[in-house]
Order: sequence, then C-alpha cells, then structure tokens
Amino acid sequence: MKTKLFTSGLSGNAVMITRVADRQWHALYDDLVVGRGYAEHRPDGRLFVCIDAWHDATFDRLAESMLAELPGPLYTVVDEADVELTACWQRAGFTIGRREWEYVVPTDPRVTGLEEVLPPSGVTVVPADQADEGLLRAADRAIRDEVEATVGWQSMPAEVLPRPEVVTIVDPSKYAVAAASGRYLGLVLVVTVNRPRIGLVAVRAGEQRRGIGRALLAHAPGTLHGSGFAAAWAEVHESNQAASALFEGIGAQPVSGNLELVR
Amino acid sequence: MTKNKNGLEVEGRVVACLRSAMFTVELENGHRVLAHISGKVRKNFIKIYLEDLVLVELSPYDLTRGRIVFRYRN
Repeated sequence: MKTKLFTSGLSGNAVMITRVADRQWHALYDDLVVGRGYAEHRPDGRLFVCIDAWHDATFDRLAESMLAELPGPLYTVVDEADVELTACWQRAGFTIGRREWEYVVPTDPRVTGLEEVLPPSGVTVVPADQADEGLLRAADRAIRDEVEATVGWQSMPAEVLPRPEVVTIVDPSKYAVAAASGRYLGLVLVVTVNRPRIGLVAVRAGEQRRGIGRALLAHAPGTLHGSGFAAAWAEVHESNQAASALFEGIGAQPVSGNLELVR
Repeated sequence: MTKNKNGLEVEGRVVACLRSAMFTVELENGHRVLAHISGKVRKNFIKIYLEDLVLVELSPYDLTRGRIVFRYRN
C-alpha cells in the first residue's frame, strides 16, 4: 500500500492519498474517505479510470497519484453536460477522444411517421424471440466484420459486459431481424432495464439504403409502444450521420451527450 | 440509512433531472439533495432517469449534496 500526503487547502489538515488495492485509490481526511479513484480494464483491453471527490483539489491529487502509477493510454467517460468534471479531467491532461449523442426515440407510430412503413419487397421482419439463432449470429458476425474493416471500428461504443471474446450476442431473444431468401440482412436489438434502449440497429453493407433500417425501426419501437412504453433511448456516435438522420427522421430528440476522454 | 467509513449512504428516488448532469433526489426521510453520478455508475454507462430508485452517498461537507452510487432495478 503506497501513501502520499498533501495539504488540501480544506482546513489546513493533510489529505492522504493511499493506493488501497491494485486498481483503487482513496483520499483520506481525518480518517474519512473524501475521494476515491478506480481503474478497470474493459474487455477490449482499454484501461478506464474514474474519480469521485468532493473537492477539485482532492480530485487533482487523486488524478496525480493514479496517472503517475498507471500505464497509458487511459480513458474515462463523462456526461458532456457535466462541465465541472470534464474540466477536472482536462486539467489532468485528458482530451476528447469520442462523443456520442443520446436520443430519446418516440415509439408511437403516429409520432414517428412509421405507421405505414413496410420492409422492401422480398424482405420480412422477424420479431424478437423468433429469430433463428444460427442465422442471427452469422449476420451479427458478418456485420461486425464489415464495420471492423472500416475506420469507424475504433469509435464503436465500448462493450462493457464481460464475455468471451467471440461472443457478441448475449441474449438472442432480444433481436428482431430483417430476413430475405434464408439469410438475415439486418438486425435491431432492444434491451429493457427499467426503460427500453435501442442497443443496435445494423444492416449488411450491400443491403443498405433500401429502407431495411427504417423497417426495423418501424417494428421495434412499434412493439414497445404496444407494450406501453412511450419512448426508447439510443446512443449515436457524432460522426455517424446516417444513424443520426435515421433517428431524427422519426422524431428522435438528442437529450445529452457522452464524452470519452483519453490521455 | 447506512453509515460507514465512506460516509452516509441513503436510498432515494430521482424527482428531477437538472442541467449539468445533476439530479434532485428525494431521500427516504423526505429531504431532498442535489446529486451527481458517481464515476463507477458513469463508467458502466448506467443511465439515471426520473423516478429511478437510487442509493446516494451524502457529502460529509454538505448534507444537501450527494452522489448517486447505485441505481436499483425498479
């Protein structure tokens, strides 16, 4: 356990920074924990840090200790509206690595304008819990390979759930798919924990711009509306103009933004 | 209410989502505190919305301020 003393300026007494575990730091003041710092590897190998402190001075000292002891690059996530916290991290040398918008997506077909939207000819939408798991996994793998081949892959949202490297679908029953001629062309994932979140909308590279994504969006929120949910939530990377246009075209409103900071 | 080395932790319900990623949380005893999201909650992309039941750690310096350290599944 490593300990470092500094004067916080709070009352002239010393705040003590202590590394209490391999990836955990405490700021102690009069034997009370007044700040904490954590570091954690994501499944993609990146090291994320976070700090909770009641005063900026404590934050700065925790950051100083952690950054001196951790290998870079380091990442953290902040709400874009939290300008004070963002400023704290920027003081520690972090800069914006990526930004994504959070949208509130209406589910009422009369609001989304998707009431009459049908999939293109020859394509059918298979509801969640009815998709063939083998075909679903094949489509998911193919889409990920297509995305990975582009420059956008590094900006894909971090997958925070621990899982074996090859497993990208945790619960197949949550996916609805667009199918044609025995193969799946696109998929939409909706997960509901307290409230519904559209986790993924994706269409195979050669099948885009045919209205399949729109048909999947017509299906998924419509189903949620039937279940009594007035809105769903979704995140879109700022550079993904196609996805932003798709969501905004059905009345979705950006309500906040997430920043991934890197140092 | 739980008191430990980390301070006071109290359950409450989010009654207002404010600017600057702040929330008003009404505690079990009826008091309201201004709370922000803890780093661990944020790091795991856990979203906080109106009416969410949450666990708040109160500031030892100001009992009207806190941070949301856990969101319960309703």
